[in-house]
Amino acid sequence: MNSSLNFIGMEVSVIGLGLVLMLADLFVPAERRRFIGYLGIGVLGLLLLFSLGGDGSCSTFGSVFNGSFVNDPLSLFFKRFFLVAAILVLFIAAEFSDRLSEGSIAEYYSLIVFALAGMLFAASANDFVMLFVSVELITITFYVLVSYQRSKIAALEAGVKYLILGALSSAFMVFGIALIWGTTGKLNFTELAAVAGQYGDSKIFLLGVLLVLVGLGFKIAAFPFQIWAPDVYQGAPTPTTAFLAVGSKAAGFVLLLRVLFSAVPSVTAQWGNLLIVISGITILYGNLCALPQRNLKRLLGYSSISHAGYLLLGVAALNASGQAAILYYLAGYLFTVLAGFLVIALVLRHLDTEDISGLAGLNQRSPLLAATMTISMVSLAGIPPLAGFFGKFLLIKSAVEAAQLTCNHGYYCLIFTALAGVVISLYYYFGVIKVMYWSKEAKDLTIIELSAPAKVTAWVCILGIFWLGLFPNTVLNMANAAAAVFAVVVK
Amino acid sequence: MKYEILPWLILFLPLLSAAVITLFTLRCKTTSSLISIGAIVAGFVMTVVFINANGFHPAVSETMTNWLNFGGPLQIDFGLKLDALSLMMLLIVTGVGGAIHIYSYGYMDEDPSKARFFAFLSLFTFSMLGIVLANNFVMMFIFWELVGVSSYLLIGFWYEKPSAGDAAKKAFITNRLGDFGFLAGILMVWGLLGSLNFGVLKGAMETNPAALGCCATIAGLLVFCGAVGKSAQFPLHVWLPDAMEGPTPVSALIHAATMVAAGVYMLCRTLFLYTPDALHVIAYIGGFTALLAALIAVQQNDIKRIIAYSTLSQLGYMVMAVGLAGPTPAMFHLTTHAFFKALLFLSAGSVILGMHHEQDIWQMGNLRKKMPITFVTFLIGALALSGLWPLSGFFSKDSILGQAYGQHNYLLFIIGVFIAGLTTFYTFRLFFVVFFGQEKSKAASHAHESSLVITLPLIVLAVFSAIGGLIGIEGIYHYNFPIEGEQSAGFIAALFEPFKASPVAALLGLLAFAIGLVAAWALYAKAATDPLPAKLGGMATAMKNKFYFDELYEATFIRAHDGIAAVVNWIDQWILEGCGIGLVRGGTNLSGRMLRHLQTGNLQTYAFLFVLGVSLVLYFVLRK
Repeated sequence: MNSSLNFIGMEVSVIGLGLVLMLADLFVPAERRRFIGYLGIGVLGLLLLFSLGGDGSCSTFGSVFNGSFVNDPLSLFFKRFFLVAAILVLFIAAEFSDRLSEGSIAEYYSLIVFALAGMLFAASANDFVMLFVSVELITITFYVLVSYQRSKIAALEAGVKYLILGALSSAFMVFGIALIWGTTGKLNFTELAAVAGQYGDSKIFLLGVLLVLVGLGFKIAAFPFQIWAPDVYQGAPTPTTAFLAVGSKAAGFVLLLRVLFSAVPSVTAQWGNLLIVISGITILYGNLCALPQRNLKRLLGYSSISHAGYLLLGVAALNASGQAAILYYLAGYLFTVLAGFLVIALVLRHLDTEDISGLAGLNQRSPLLAATMTISMVSLAGIPPLAGFFGKFLLIKSAVEAAQLTCNHGYYCLIFTALAGVVISLYYYFGVIKVMYWSKEAKDLTIIELSAPAKVTAWVCILGIFWLGLFPNTVLNMANAAAAVFAVVVK
Repeated sequence: MKYEILPWLILFLPLLSAAVITLFTLRCKTTSSLISIGAIVAGFVMTVVFINANGFHPAVSETMTNWLNFGGPLQIDFGLKLDALSLMMLLIVTGVGGAIHIYSYGYMDEDPSKARFFAFLSLFTFSMLGIVLANNFVMMFIFWELVGVSSYLLIGFWYEKPSAGDAAKKAFITNRLGDFGFLAGILMVWGLLGSLNFGVLKGAMETNPAALGCCATIAGLLVFCGAVGKSAQFPLHVWLPDAMEGPTPVSALIHAATMVAAGVYMLCRTLFLYTPDALHVIAYIGGFTALLAALIAVQQNDIKRIIAYSTLSQLGYMVMAVGLAGPTPAMFHLTTHAFFKALLFLSAGSVILGMHHEQDIWQMGNLRKKMPITFVTFLIGALALSGLWPLSGFFSKDSILGQAYGQHNYLLFIIGVFIAGLTTFYTFRLFFVVFFGQEKSKAASHAHESSLVITLPLIVLAVFSAIGGLIGIEGIYHYNFPIEGEQSAGFIAALFEPFKASPVAALLGLLAFAIGLVAAWALYAKAATDPLPAKLGGMATAMKNKFYFDELYEATFIRAHDGIAAVVNWIDQWILEGCGIGLVRGGTNLSGRMLRHLQTGNLQTYAFLFVLGVSLVLYFVLRK
């Protein structure tokens, strides 16, 4: 047991932190509770430092619990990713605390930390039971996080929708797992990979795999399982939406990569076309639906669907550069999206509306926030020299490589679709920028006072976006190392 | 090559100065002007040091780094060409330019935007040095455009005056027409010869003179288009007189001494490209421009415009010389012209300053007593321009006339001599009206001499205008364009060389000078109004109105252009924007709105759609 702790030390500390934060609720007076978050940030920051320094449990490579929990470069990459995301989300949550019912913020913090624990387990999951448990840990926490503003009807409605559709997808997933186990008798990814080739013709087995993918497709909001995303993004409290967009989606992707490329690579090799179609439709759906949107969070909800489509493009490429591109893209997406949600949380928290017009005149009210939002939108649209551009470039490059290797013209159609999607997205992303700088509707032009942590968060996001766009090598090397854990699917 | 770093410093110091002024010192006029002056004077000193160390003819004449490598044959270097031609131009640009920079310190003293002015001047200096030092066509073209931009900025420096804004636009757009041809020529040369480097191109043309094939003349003339724009040759000459809307130092630096000479410099740099036919065209365009401009100058009344038309006319001389296969006379005249024309402009600037920004010569008069230094320097400039032996203009103009005579092109020779007479006439018309006779306005009676920072550069330039023909400038250009036969050495020999080499040209040139001077004295020494219109009638009106070129262009090209623009705008607005883009945009928008209706907000529908999606995926994979 002691040796196992060496591997899951980080997860255990995070769960411990969650419990401490929850207990602190009892001892700290209500008006001070928002500062509990900084304790959480401090601990997570320490863990992040350990992981970056190569110490800590996540850097001890190997597998425990009969191979169901694995530490490898891929899990290392995602654990760092989730830690950064959780830290930034805690910052946003601390700024958002006055919108929650009085004193309840500590519980909110601890739920974020529990969700983080689920994501950390997901990063290391190497069998279907671990996969299911970690997914449920994330999802159930999010049911609460989404409907946290109990007094708001919209939040409750979003929570109920997420709960029922989430339960539906979980049902499909667990059914799929049962079918896989029933046909092969294996649950461990590594063991399954060895025998999956023999079951390539078994429709029951393929059905099982597909149903697992349905569950994961729900997490990442890919077509045709995207239907919940806009409603939930809109109704949930802004920090929840931010964590949903970054953390939950990334957890879905790490599991998707594991299942497709570790557990059933021989099956995946046959599914290039399926992935191409899903990716293409997801990109188009997200971008087209975002066009007429006026609600900012809903707009970002659709935008997150389209980004799931771009990320799936890297999955569809079925090669190592595609997998590395996904990781890189997610890293850029982390800073970009959190920058956007930070601004939304800070600017719109005192307004009744979440309409884009709420940003009018922002460049006069707070130049820093206007710049942050602009950079975020420009990076989402994929314009150099920002992170979003380089990520899209890597994804499309991997698709071109795949097209040359397999001579599958579907890839070219997909690339064209992705580019068309970028053009469409320019319209609505720049619509946001236009409102901030040139809208004449602005009524309220009071200066927005920013707290020091808020400024730090904004600057971290801006620097992150520029750093990834201008000096991609560090993160790209990590991503390449992480993608190297998968076997080559298509030769 | 010793001190290889120096040319790079000379080139980039002005850019640094422009950047520093723009970014940091825009609020401080004195610091800004000193930075800019320091950059160009340092450039001059470094040029002298470099020439001292390497001579005018360094053994290795290029220094470069590979700049853009596109793979395949298209490689662009960022390289500097250092031979007699470019080193001499370096001296002119930094030397004459330096004098003008110092002069500007005084001239622009009261302008609130002095710092911006010096930032622009430095930008211009950088661009001009880039043209001079470029070792390939692409670099030259880039700096060519940069010079155009800085010229635009400086002509429109007083942008609150509508006329200045219009003049800036006119200069820029007219130049674009020429540059279009220039770019086409460059592409053609690159396509046919596969290189852009001047040295490589020259080698290719020398080993195989027919390398350009049947397109040789066309390619040469297209490249020449660039010079037609920049050096304001007919038919693109119309922008230069209007460019006088800029501050006077700008007129002196850019629109007399350096930038407009860039066309001539470029022709000399690429002389190997031109076929005899192309040279013929070049010679006649030059000669015609020279004649046209000289005629117009006779009936202008604005002191700067007269000198501007004179510049046009002298540029025509230079282009004519290139066309007559005489790059040395052309460059020689370019050099001396830079001295005396800068001197004339700056003296005129001093007069304008003394007259409180009055530019009409018929408001002046009798200024020789009020402004003695300006009077003397202007006289030296005028005599040099008119070509009085032994001042510099005589030698350079004589070498052009000698070239025409030597080439047996007697038509251009006679035109050249005639223009020499006209030049003297209009120059001394200006001179007598301004400095002699009666004061014709109150401002003239209250005129005063300018300060030392203005007169000092005048004196320096006056000295060089006087002796420029005798200090061996012509010999330096022979490094680049070697001639057969022996050069006479020694000061005295140089003094009488023209009379020995080509006595007909020298004597006829002096005769034209004398006739022009006498005519000007007779008509204008005591005149209070212009007597010429009464004598010439319609001809004088035509001259005064610049032979109606502006009106002609307005009625034809600009009208036609407006018409085409209206049609294109209609197509853009209704066919491209309306039908093309509009349909795509509308379709996209519509599909977005329709898709939105899927999102009913109803949970049952969502669950149904979810399951429908699952079935679709299962069917897609498992249907077989």
